[in-house]
Amino acid sequence: MTRVLIALSVGASVLLAACGGTSVAGNPSTGGPAVITPPAAALTGAGATFPAPFYDAARFAYNQKFSQVTVNYQAVGSGAGIQQLTKKLVDFGASDVPMNATELTAAGGSDAVVQIASTLGTESMAFNLSGVSNGQLKLTPKTIAGIFLGTIKKWNDPALAADNSGVSLPNQAITVVHRSDGSGTTYIFTDYLSTVSADWKSKVGKGKSVSWPVGQGASGNAAVATRITQTPGAIGYVELAYVLQTNMTQASLQNHDGQFVIPSPEGATAAASQFLAVNPTQFSIVDAPGQKSAPISGYSWLMLYKDQADKTKGTALVDYLDWLVTDGQQYAANVHYAKLPSNIVKDDINSLKTVTSGGTALLPSSVAAPS
Amino acid sequence: MSRGTAERVVSAPLVAASHQRRFVLGDRIFRAIAYGAALLIMVIAVIFLIALVIPALPAMTKFGLGFFTSRTWDPVRNQFGALAAIYGTLVTSAIALLIAFPIGLGAALFLAEDARLSLLRGPLSFLIELLAGIPSVVIGLWAFFILTALMRDKVDPFLQHTLGFLPLLKGTPSGYGFLTASLVLAIMVLPIMIALSRDVIRAVPRELREASLALGATNAETIWSVILPYARVGITGAVLLSLGRALGETIAVTMVIGNTMQISASLFASGYTLPSVIANEFTEATGNVYLGSLFYLGVVLVLITIAVNVLARLLIWRFTGSGRAAA
Amino acid sequence: MSLPLVRILVDRVVGALVVLCVMVAAIPVLVLFLFVVIKGFPGLLTPGFFTDPPHPQGVPGGGVLNAIIGTLEIVGIGSLLAVPVGALIGIFLSEYGRNQVGDTVRFISDVLTGLPSIAFGIFGYTVVVLTTHHFSALSASIALAVLMLPVILRATETALLLIPNSLREAGLALGAPRWRVTLEIVVPAALGGIVTGALLAMARAAGETAPLLFTAFGNDIVQTNPLQPMGALALTVFRNALVPYPNLQDQAWAAALLLVILVAATNILARLYVGRIQR
Repeated sequence: MTRVLIALSVGASVLLAACGGTSVAGNPSTGGPAVITPPAAALTGAGATFPAPFYDAARFAYNQKFSQVTVNYQAVGSGAGIQQLTKKLVDFGASDVPMNATELTAAGGSDAVVQIASTLGTESMAFNLSGVSNGQLKLTPKTIAGIFLGTIKKWNDPALAADNSGVSLPNQAITVVHRSDGSGTTYIFTDYLSTVSADWKSKVGKGKSVSWPVGQGASGNAAVATRITQTPGAIGYVELAYVLQTNMTQASLQNHDGQFVIPSPEGATAAASQFLAVNPTQFSIVDAPGQKSAPISGYSWLMLYKDQADKTKGTALVDYLDWLVTDGQQYAANVHYAKLPSNIVKDDINSLKTVTSGGTALLPSSVAAPS
Repeated sequence: MSRGTAERVVSAPLVAASHQRRFVLGDRIFRAIAYGAALLIMVIAVIFLIALVIPALPAMTKFGLGFFTSRTWDPVRNQFGALAAIYGTLVTSAIALLIAFPIGLGAALFLAEDARLSLLRGPLSFLIELLAGIPSVVIGLWAFFILTALMRDKVDPFLQHTLGFLPLLKGTPSGYGFLTASLVLAIMVLPIMIALSRDVIRAVPRELREASLALGATNAETIWSVILPYARVGITGAVLLSLGRALGETIAVTMVIGNTMQISASLFASGYTLPSVIANEFTEATGNVYLGSLFYLGVVLVLITIAVNVLARLLIWRFTGSGRAAA
Repeated sequence: MSLPLVRILVDRVVGALVVLCVMVAAIPVLVLFLFVVIKGFPGLLTPGFFTDPPHPQGVPGGGVLNAIIGTLEIVGIGSLLAVPVGALIGIFLSEYGRNQVGDTVRFISDVLTGLPSIAFGIFGYTVVVLTTHHFSALSASIALAVLMLPVILRATETALLLIPNSLREAGLALGAPRWRVTLEIVVPAALGGIVTGALLAMARAAGETAPLLFTAFGNDIVQTNPLQPMGALALTVFRNALVPYPNLQDQAWAAALLLVILVAATNILARLYVGRIQR
């Protein structure tokens, strides 16, 4: 109920929120149903660069609304997010891959950490090739694996030419750009490659950082995007938001059903709809069946300690995260992410309700997911 | 700067005044505070070492000395070796010095003693000192946007066209890699190379130079057979100090080296250096072995730079007499 | 008695080469300055550059207020820590340090000078961040303080040694205890050198990036609490350079120009101070 009220008053876009300034719902003195006003706190989070544009837009909007809460999010990579949460250097971590059993043990046991899905996104194959326009280049699972294994070295390779009749591919070397830091984007991409290519699975495998057969590294989605833009003949895997916001050219990708699709938020939603039961141990949605599914899609996750030492901070944190997975989702579309499916939002809120400080739950039990 | 005399002269009246308790007490306290400060820096140095070595222990015990011979850097299988990063560090620093040494020495000769264009000397010295003060991230920014494109479109193709038969210049230039990083390092160590060599050359006794000229030698001959032999030790020290700076330079190199853990004969290939691996992967390393390996790299880096610097100091001290008071 | 032509020729060639070397060395500086000024200046004039924190992509405006405050605060606290300690160690070296202890301190200080700046970041991370369980401006200040220490103590020692012994003797002859002679006569006389050393150390610290990566960590929000993560100009330059958004890249150039101005101004201030004192 309150959530809906707040959503109405904030306005539709980040832009509005940024300029609007005064919001009625943030003010408890307006009467009506009690608005949850979070306590003053400075929250620090770190991790994934994949959803960073969304987190950035969301935390900015949240601060416009509740100026007493500041959220500092540093996009340093998924590996870093988990690492720093484990060392308790940040209040929440962010990763495109939920923490696995080993990581949870390091963080104090499987029950010590709450993990929630925060947004849904998809990856593009961005390239820099003069004369080849957006969506014109067609890539199949086989050619993507070939390029990243180093067996396809030139743009006019017969394997590529076969899928791209009508496109003039130059006799130019392919420069592969990959992530140099531990990254969930890499995990989702290598998870995809391991799913579609047995060769990749046996030679390289999947992980947040892998031993790359070819290419050069750059740290963060943004740096990979920049490197591709700067280097003629380059190709790399980049989160869709970075591609669209900077007008990079991206390839059409052949999905599980054999259709060529240009990655889009709708494609991510279509892929997600094929996997209803998603949880921190069963989370892969790559190579999804379905005509419209974008093949390299994935959820991004946030993690926080179940037992919050600082009650004030903990209260502000769960309130912010509750807002992020509900009202905050409206900021997803602007930066090219897909809204979370409603079943996931429900799971998230139930998980957040288990967060406690000194034995008391921090999120009121009355809070429910918007229907 | 005759050492010892000051101490003696200053101490004498102190002894005479020693019956004045108040004075002695005040002096003792002051002395204790000064010694305390001196002790503090030693404590900091010890903590520095501990902070570096202890977290490296998991990797040290797991990989031992094999760390130095393995070129694997595989976070998925938790196998780490330093060879590729050490290779990148040494190659980029060596090429940087190869470029900076002749240019720096020539510029130092001009600034130290050339009589021509003497009006230009002041401004040129100032310019080069300015370069020394530019933050490395600013040089990195410039290199990242301007130099990489210049290398990719102009310099690298030209080199490949003229000297392409060398294995050093094979492969596709992307603008990022060993050569660009070396060039950035050369620019960064140039001011140190010039300033130190200039001081060393100025320290060559005037009489030697004048004697050589009076005997009929040309300027070039005087440089070659009098100044350079005399200043050789000091110049070697300058080269080593420049090397120390090049080995440890982090940010600017990280922005242009390409960040790939590989050993490649081609200078156009991308690579990694010890400091840039640490800068890129430090905050994200999961697990004690991965993080420990990064600390291990840090230990290697610190040991190499200490060795180079100590050697350099010893050479320069030998040349100028003493390290005391000659910073 | 003219020289053989070959010798003259060699002399001329060497002379030309030497001039060429100076030119080659000076060119990168000029090119660099040109680029930083041309690409950075428009950014400085953008409204909000000095008064706003960064805005997310898609929200117009935004500046680097967080980073300006961060750099000033981090370097400021670092100096508060490093200058008194560094000066005291310098006093020790010049007044009591002609012995084994002094030589050890000099050796340690020289070793610290030569260490890669990233090592100071590791130091700040292990010693402060891991023990306090928080990235913070303070951890960056401590890392930078250790980095500044050798510069300050060497400058202090050199400045104190330049003070003629007659000055010390005069003070002692008047019956003043040695500690008062040192603090009230010697140190004030050498103040120019000490201040210069401190300013040079601050200029170096302000430009450092590597020690901040795992300590100050960065913060897009204006933060003044030294126990919280904090932005810094050098971090803004580094992170924004690697981002594919042109407006943020422009901000990186502008922040770089601001950083260069800040560092150059501190350096020039240091020289002016020396000039004034020496007169």
